Amino acid sequence: MDTLKRILPVMVMVTLAACSRSQGGSTTQPSAAALPPEGQIASVPLGDLAGVAATNLPANLHNPLEGNPTAVQEGKNLFIKMNCAGCHGYDAGGGMGPSLVDHYWRYGGVPVSVYKSIYEGRPQGMPAWGRALPPQEIWKIVAYLESLGGTFPADAYHAALQGDLGNASGGGAEEKSRESNRSSSRQ
Amino acid sequence: MTPLSYLHTHGPAGDPLAHLAWGLGAISIIVVVIIIALVLIATFHTRPAVAVDGQGRCPIGRDVGGVRWVYIGVGISTVVLFLCAIWMLAALAAVSSPPTAPAFKIEVTGNQWWWSVRYLGNTPSNTFVTANEIHIPVGEPVRIDLIGGDVIHSFWVPKLAGKTDTIPGQTNQMWLQADQPGTYRGQCTEYCGVQHAHMGFIVVAEPRAQFEAWRANQLAAAPQPTSDLEKSGLHVFQARCGACHAVRGSDAAGILGPDLTHVMSRSTLAAATWPNGPGRIAGWIMGAQSIKPGCRMPQLSMQGNEMGALLAYLKTLQ
Amino acid sequence: MYLVTPFPNTAYALDLTKAGAPIKWSFAANPTPLAIGKACCDTVNRGPAYVDGKLIYNLLDDHTVAVDVRTGKEVWRTKMGNPELGETLTMAPFVVGKKVYVGNSGGEMGVRGWLAALDADTGKELWRAYSTGPDNDVKIGADFKPFYPWLRGKDLGVTTWPADMWKHGAGAVWAWISYDPELNLIYYGTSNPGPRVPVQRPGLNLWTSAIFARDADTGMAKWAYQFTPHDQWDYDGVNENLLADVQIDGRPRKVLIHFDRNAYAYTIDRATGEVLRATTFAYQNWSSGFDMKTAVPQVIPAKQPKPEVQLEVCPPDIGGKDWQPSAMSPRTGLVYAAIFNICMDLTDHTVPYIAGTPYDGMEMKRHPAPGGNWGEFMAWDPVAGRKVWSIKEQFMTMGGVLATAGDVVFYGTTDGWFRAIDARSGQALWSTKLGSGVVAPPITYLGPDGRQYLAVYSGVGGAAMVSSKMPGFPARGNTLYVFSIDGASPSQAAGMLTTQAQEPASSSKAGTSTRRH
Repeated sequence: MDTLKRILPVMVMVTLAACSRSQGGSTTQPSAAALPPEGQIASVPLGDLAGVAATNLPANLHNPLEGNPTAVQEGKNLFIKMNCAGCHGYDAGGGMGPSLVDHYWRYGGVPVSVYKSIYEGRPQGMPAWGRALPPQEIWKIVAYLESLGGTFPADAYHAALQGDLGNASGGGAEEKSRESNRSSSRQ
Repeated sequence: MTPLSYLHTHGPAGDPLAHLAWGLGAISIIVVVIIIALVLIATFHTRPAVAVDGQGRCPIGRDVGGVRWVYIGVGISTVVLFLCAIWMLAALAAVSSPPTAPAFKIEVTGNQWWWSVRYLGNTPSNTFVTANEIHIPVGEPVRIDLIGGDVIHSFWVPKLAGKTDTIPGQTNQMWLQADQPGTYRGQCTEYCGVQHAHMGFIVVAEPRAQFEAWRANQLAAAPQPTSDLEKSGLHVFQARCGACHAVRGSDAAGILGPDLTHVMSRSTLAAATWPNGPGRIAGWIMGAQSIKPGCRMPQLSMQGNEMGALLAYLKTLQ
Repeated sequence: MYLVTPFPNTAYALDLTKAGAPIKWSFAANPTPLAIGKACCDTVNRGPAYVDGKLIYNLLDDHTVAVDVRTGKEVWRTKMGNPELGETLTMAPFVVGKKVYVGNSGGEMGVRGWLAALDADTGKELWRAYSTGPDNDVKIGADFKPFYPWLRGKDLGVTTWPADMWKHGAGAVWAWISYDPELNLIYYGTSNPGPRVPVQRPGLNLWTSAIFARDADTGMAKWAYQFTPHDQWDYDGVNENLLADVQIDGRPRKVLIHFDRNAYAYTIDRATGEVLRATTFAYQNWSSGFDMKTAVPQVIPAKQPKPEVQLEVCPPDIGGKDWQPSAMSPRTGLVYAAIFNICMDLTDHTVPYIAGTPYDGMEMKRHPAPGGNWGEFMAWDPVAGRKVWSIKEQFMTMGGVLATAGDVVFYGTTDGWFRAIDARSGQALWSTKLGSGVVAPPITYLGPDGRQYLAVYSGVGGAAMVSSKMPGFPARGNTLYVFSIDGASPSQAAGMLTTQAQEPASSSKAGTSTRRH
């Protein structure tokens, strides 16, 4: 039931995204059921949410704003003004949080997985933004990350799960980031 | 008089310029009238006929009077223009700095498409942030530092002063003084994006005592919620709004959008685009993209009684 | 031997009486992984304290635990803060009598800094002194007598901030505490103010980037001094304070010696808070001088950051020296310190406060200052206020220093060199390369077999990662190295193979009949 509650919000989004893709916007608000209780703006639910990386969602869910240059610019603005840059670096190369420009994604690197990581938060300190940021704003951030080249294409979801996409950017950067999964330089 | 009319100003930052505008306008009209008159005279003036002499030659005569017109014209024009130039320089000097030392300083930052305002106090703890509505004491000059934000905007209160840009990477300075109490409308006057036309602001000039009362109120943190609905509203605010908006006294301290610590004390919302009031602010929250399409306030959808609780809390932010 | 690891903060007891120093017990503290994403500068731990048969240390997720050293079982655990709000604990608790002093981390996360005292037997919190806010919270009372007039006044922890910003003003207490038993005072520094973007918080921002002297029993402040008023570059005041009795201008003075992040070395009268010496020890370009009358550094206006405008500032946020502790030798009268030679290209961005996310705003690229070396090891004369000798190091020197009565001082480098230096002349006596970089201080102790040992951790991390792009930067590591003077130790016998190889003439044969291979 809990899993269903988690999948339900994004499934609703998926359905409507399919309907309104040509207008470039999904306006459905996923339910807040998967989020921590009210009180903290951005607090991480304790416990292991890593299981959500293995999901039976339609794996090829595209970012409704993919390729939209205004969305990329606004996503960059949000990336700085929501303090993402404070943890992930102003160049998104990592710091307190992992690099978002290499090809290593612990919780999945296709757009829908990145969306869910932002929306739900993750166990090692990634806050849950689903209440603070409406879906459109989170997709803008995903669009910005996609423009940086570290994410995987939506259609490549299954290949990404099986590790077949690892070497797209060259081994060096990835080797380092895999080996020291905290790059931990002060930003 | 329409709110954005710059022909009648109400303070020493704008009066010299308004007088200059009227003066140059009058001089220009007079000049035009004189020139038209001269052109008409020249068009319809006829000379006496010239008689040919016995051998069919035309007398050659020095033409007196015509060049004198030129000398007179140039002379008058030069003097008048020179005096206008001096007047202009005097007007610019008069508006460049206030007649007395400014009472205090305000920092204004132009953002797409709203104005962030920070009042600097004589001690750091008297410093507070507000948005879109500036209050000044009547009859006293106030210094304004215009800090560049995202793109170039321009700060203009037509009835009080001229235009000064906010330019990213630098700080421009100007000053305001209102000699009569009242509400003066301001406007961004440098095209800055899709909602440039709806990037206004309000300047309220009031007697010193009232200004101090307003200032003390703005400096105070928002009250703690008392009823259960208000408390629930505070939680909704912190969770849904706090990433972008700030209310001092709560945990919400976002800077992407206007400071809302005393939002219900303002007469307008959305940079003087939308009137303020409990129903109005609900309309804004639910439909910002319909009211000001393209603005940074996202389309939200609120669940169940979230809106009711949120409104109850917002009503306390006087 | 007792060790505590970085996150997940496991404690180990190694039995030194047995060959190979096997693990006698280990204690799994189980801190929540949530704290990992709230630690600005790696999930470090600066060590445990020992009192009354208990090993007391901090967990990253804001608990202080006490472990029984005989059994390895938890005696008490006290929750000190909330990791969801960006608060963590990384410092080594400090013990005086039956009191354990603990301070928080999170100066980049918009926390409110504090120092607390716990009862060593029960873990109960006795008092907490905040670093910002009203005098009551800061434990400033009638006995508070700062030496300088600009630090006197009511509620300066409120009035030197814009409205309400002191609530997220930081001043975290994440490093070292010292104690003077005669004066019964504890001394410690506070972190930078938050946010790290100064234009958002005009004012002196007390009591951040400062040092407090507090009564060790009650916690009431006796004096305070702010090293970097209205800090604009993240110059935390948390570095260690060495307590020494020296002759200054012909009189004996009880002083403390402090190398601050802002590149000034201070010699301060520890009874009154008077600054006796303040001279720069590392390359800096933010300050044009120091006014000894008011004890205020002069700021160069061009080095004040404005948002979105890049400028080069030296030293960088991590300072001319960070928290790696220095050591003084009473025999030479010199202080030995590992310092930095680094600059930063800084661009500030205004930031919101969103609980649990960074309240930071400094975008930086760090590079070496003139000279090209990132690190340096120096001997400093605290009375004259100048360097006596120094050794330039290509890599950062972020390990602490050990001074010994044999006039040998020890330090390690980020690329893994561990060196012994003559304390008087500065000549290198011995160097060895370890498996990873050294970012910890070495210790020396007398083992159960009566031999003197030297121990150091090797495992690069923490703020040293700012130089991780250097060619030759080592891999991460997690090794404890233990040395003895001639390499002799009962541990040699465990698992060794004997060989027939000839021994070099210079080695000592005492007590050994086999050599390691």
